Amino acid sequence: MASLENEYEHFKVDARRRLILLGGLFTGGALLIGGQLFHLQVMNGGEYRNLAEDNRISLQPIPALRGRILDRHGRILVDNSPDFQLSVIPELIGNLHAFLKRVQSYVDLTPDRIEKIVRQMHRQRSFLPLMIQSHLTWAQVNQIESRIHTFPGASIQVQTTRSYPNGDVAAHLLGYLGEVNDKDSFQFSSIHFRSGDIVGKTGMERMFELVLRGKEGVREMEVNAVGRHIRELKRQPARPGPDLRLTIDMELQAEAERALSGVSGATVCLDPNNGEVLAMVSQPSYDPNQFIRGFSNDEWKRLVTDPKRPLINKAIQGQYPPGSTFKMVVALAALAEGKIDASTRHHCGGSLTRDNHTFYCWKSGGHGSMDVVSALEQSCDVFFYKVSEALGIDALARQAKNMGLGSLTEIGLEGERPGLMPSRAWKKATFGHAWYPGETLVTGIGQGAVLATPLQLANMVAAVANGGRVYRPTFALTSKDQPPVLLHANTFKPAHLALVRKGLTAVINGKSGTARQFKPDKVIAAGKTGTSQVVKHKREKSGKLIKEDNERFKDHALFVCYAPVDQPRIAISVIVEHGGHGSTAAAPVAQRIMNFFFDKLGTSES
Amino acid sequence: MNIPPDDKNTRLLGSSSLGWRDRLARFPTSLVILLTLLSLGGFVVLYSAVGGAENNGYVWRQVARFGVGLALMLIIALFGSEKIYRRYAYLLYTIALLLLIVVFLTGSIGMGARRWLALGFLNLQPSELMKVALVLALARYFHDRAIPMGIGLVHLWIPMVMIILPTALIVKQPDLGTSILLITVGMVVVVAAGLKWRLFFGVLFLIGASLPLGWNMMHDYQRRRILTLFSPEKDPLGAGYHIIQSKIAIGSGGISGKGFMAGSQSQLNFLPERHTDFIFSVLAEEWGLIGGLLLLSLYCMIVLRTLIIANMASDRFGFLTVVGLTALFSFQVLVNMGMVIGLLPVVGIPLPMISYGGSSMLTLMIAMGLMAHVSIHSKQHGGTI
Repeated sequence: MASLENEYEHFKVDARRRLILLGGLFTGGALLIGGQLFHLQVMNGGEYRNLAEDNRISLQPIPALRGRILDRHGRILVDNSPDFQLSVIPELIGNLHAFLKRVQSYVDLTPDRIEKIVRQMHRQRSFLPLMIQSHLTWAQVNQIESRIHTFPGASIQVQTTRSYPNGDVAAHLLGYLGEVNDKDSFQFSSIHFRSGDIVGKTGMERMFELVLRGKEGVREMEVNAVGRHIRELKRQPARPGPDLRLTIDMELQAEAERALSGVSGATVCLDPNNGEVLAMVSQPSYDPNQFIRGFSNDEWKRLVTDPKRPLINKAIQGQYPPGSTFKMVVALAALAEGKIDASTRHHCGGSLTRDNHTFYCWKSGGHGSMDVVSALEQSCDVFFYKVSEALGIDALARQAKNMGLGSLTEIGLEGERPGLMPSRAWKKATFGHAWYPGETLVTGIGQGAVLATPLQLANMVAAVANGGRVYRPTFALTSKDQPPVLLHANTFKPAHLALVRKGLTAVINGKSGTARQFKPDKVIAAGKTGTSQVVKHKREKSGKLIKEDNERFKDHALFVCYAPVDQPRIAISVIVEHGGHGSTAAAPVAQRIMNFFFDKLGTSES
Repeated sequence: MNIPPDDKNTRLLGSSSLGWRDRLARFPTSLVILLTLLSLGGFVVLYSAVGGAENNGYVWRQVARFGVGLALMLIIALFGSEKIYRRYAYLLYTIALLLLIVVFLTGSIGMGARRWLALGFLNLQPSELMKVALVLALARYFHDRAIPMGIGLVHLWIPMVMIILPTALIVKQPDLGTSILLITVGMVVVVAAGLKWRLFFGVLFLIGASLPLGWNMMHDYQRRRILTLFSPEKDPLGAGYHIIQSKIAIGSGGISGKGFMAGSQSQLNFLPERHTDFIFSVLAEEWGLIGGLLLLSLYCMIVLRTLIIANMASDRFGFLTVVGLTALFSFQVLVNMGMVIGLLPVVGIPLPMISYGGSSMLTLMIAMGLMAHVSIHSKQHGGTI
């Protein structure tokens, strides 16, 4: 006991020193606080009193002008235009409901809108302006302005709003704006949003949000006791967002939209030399101005329930069996794996039977003896059944992935779908079944499980055109400083690619080519038709095809191409939903786009 | 310790030596007087901050809490044997830790910030309980081990775990203010227990070096608060708003203040959180430098009084308990005032005894009760100053 107490006595000596340190630290802190109080209240007291007593500071945001969106030649795709809004300072108007009732006769307020206003009022500081109604007409503005003195605290404010001088040209691509929600603030965590802020929701507006939005400024206003402005104290100007120049060619985009008008489908035009997107169309479309004005319930319901899905960007979100356009990949794969060469020939008798199952060629009489070039030219199914059988599904899948199939192109648009390149492992993982040999044959002609987006198909044909380089498609102009990004490079031998290109050239220029009626006027093009089955074809006992009358069950028509064959400038994919055969519905669209493109090129270069 | 136990009192007071009369005589009355003065001032400021008579319910609730707190303080100070808190220190700590885990688990289901445990009749905030429990547990740990050569790294593992476990749970709530408070208080106890000076400065250096790491782990809003401190003008509509308005309120108060209920900043809704974390701005606007310094000196006197108790404590447990609880009290005073006057970033720490809110006040009164308990059982007590 005694030793313990001694020990504590010993401890106390040291402890007292530590106690003094603690007390000293606290005293130091207290002195700092006292000093800062003296600094604020005595040294600067007068200045702060001026700020607080006679006048009060009101802070008003100065919205930053959003950058415009231009096409590759500097033509305006998305512009800013003035928008007149009625807004109030809630703390100055007294009873909000009474105010809304009085103002109701000048600006139509729906119950929805009123509810929104009330909700917003509870969310923001009462001295910040509260927006009552936007997009006022000139007549409404005049009516209110002439009575503005009867509404203390209310004012007409001019804001800017997005406008689309070209209407619905490139609507999907450009995207639209909307009020910020939780998902947006999460995604753009670097932006300090205030409620009611406008943010890009889809398309380019969203992809380039951080560039386009600029930086909001702020105005420090002195306000007197009733809230009237006395003078501006300080202004931090807004920094407008810079204009955004896209790779899109506005005229080509418009022409492509016209070429696809009236049908449901999509087309993508790429520059095969760098992956720049020249045009990207999805039809039917919608008017983006509507998203600014707002929809009525009926309009919205119609957009959402339309079976042609106008709100979907089919170019990146539509996934289709690639049909015979896939045969170029099968040919390349078989060449690369050494399963065929230029001299390999197979006989087509119109069908092929395996395990009691008959696989038909589209040409019921058969094509006779085919090599890889003629099989591509005439799209012989039996040749590719045999080639893919020899190749096997896993080798095919491996090679197809080198062409960018089955994975995202990483173009940067939200909602892009990856398509699907099936394999044994995929089937086991997804369905738990083994892969049937027959499925390889069906995959070999681009039917069955294999899926691709129009963007992937355009990128695929672009790679064939440019010597095997699969670029990441981009909307930002490439240059020496910003070189294009390669996803896959030179996996295929030049000789093999040349052979496939020969076949594709024959598709349009050969005597029996499946798209020989659709030669472009000024250049020699190469391409491939395709038909993507929507439902399994029904056949009579004899094997004769039963024609499907119901529009919804008609096949999708596909066409991919590039031109000119010697020095490719453009690569195109077209899909027309329920268009029937590729040669009848999709190829003319591509032909029209190519004609327009090379007409323009001719005039601008001469 | 040779005084024979008083049979009648043994049951209530524990087996210890002091009788009722002694305990009352040794009770540090001055502490209660100072606390009461502080609270009375707090009620006046609160009355003004909530907008006067129409909201005086706030004030009455606060008065009631102070009453309950005072009763708790007296009970804790007067009852129980000398060793009772040392004996139950670990148990209390374990309970508080379990409650924190419960809050952590239920909170993660709710996906939001959750600090409360609804018990039906009252809302328990385990992080408040932990503040006191951590001090007691650390005090017990170092009491049980006499380390004459000074505390080195080998002795620190267990105390570190004791500090870090609850802190990690509270950071996740997320409650940055309380987490910093716990770490600081824990460190103070370790230092007071005899941490080697070399190690002390080493730890300080480590903390400084790990600041960038902490910066990376912070939420966006927490970083913004710190950045805003250095340049509130950059974000006047967002995080800078609180600081700008608070400084205007305080500065415009001048030397003598604008008078009771007459602060324009306080009365016209320019000041945020003015009845809780920012209540000092109201005081400084309406009562000026005089009011502010008066409050500051009240706090200083309380801290001084508790340091005296620490100095006279009869054993290491008592000494460390009082040091830890004093740190708890004074750190909150400094941090709250520091943030309100724009010296420190805005973290949610209320002003002791003044800010509206029950948990904080009850915790502090419990802490005062524990310190008074130590004082009563100290060896050489200096009367009832």
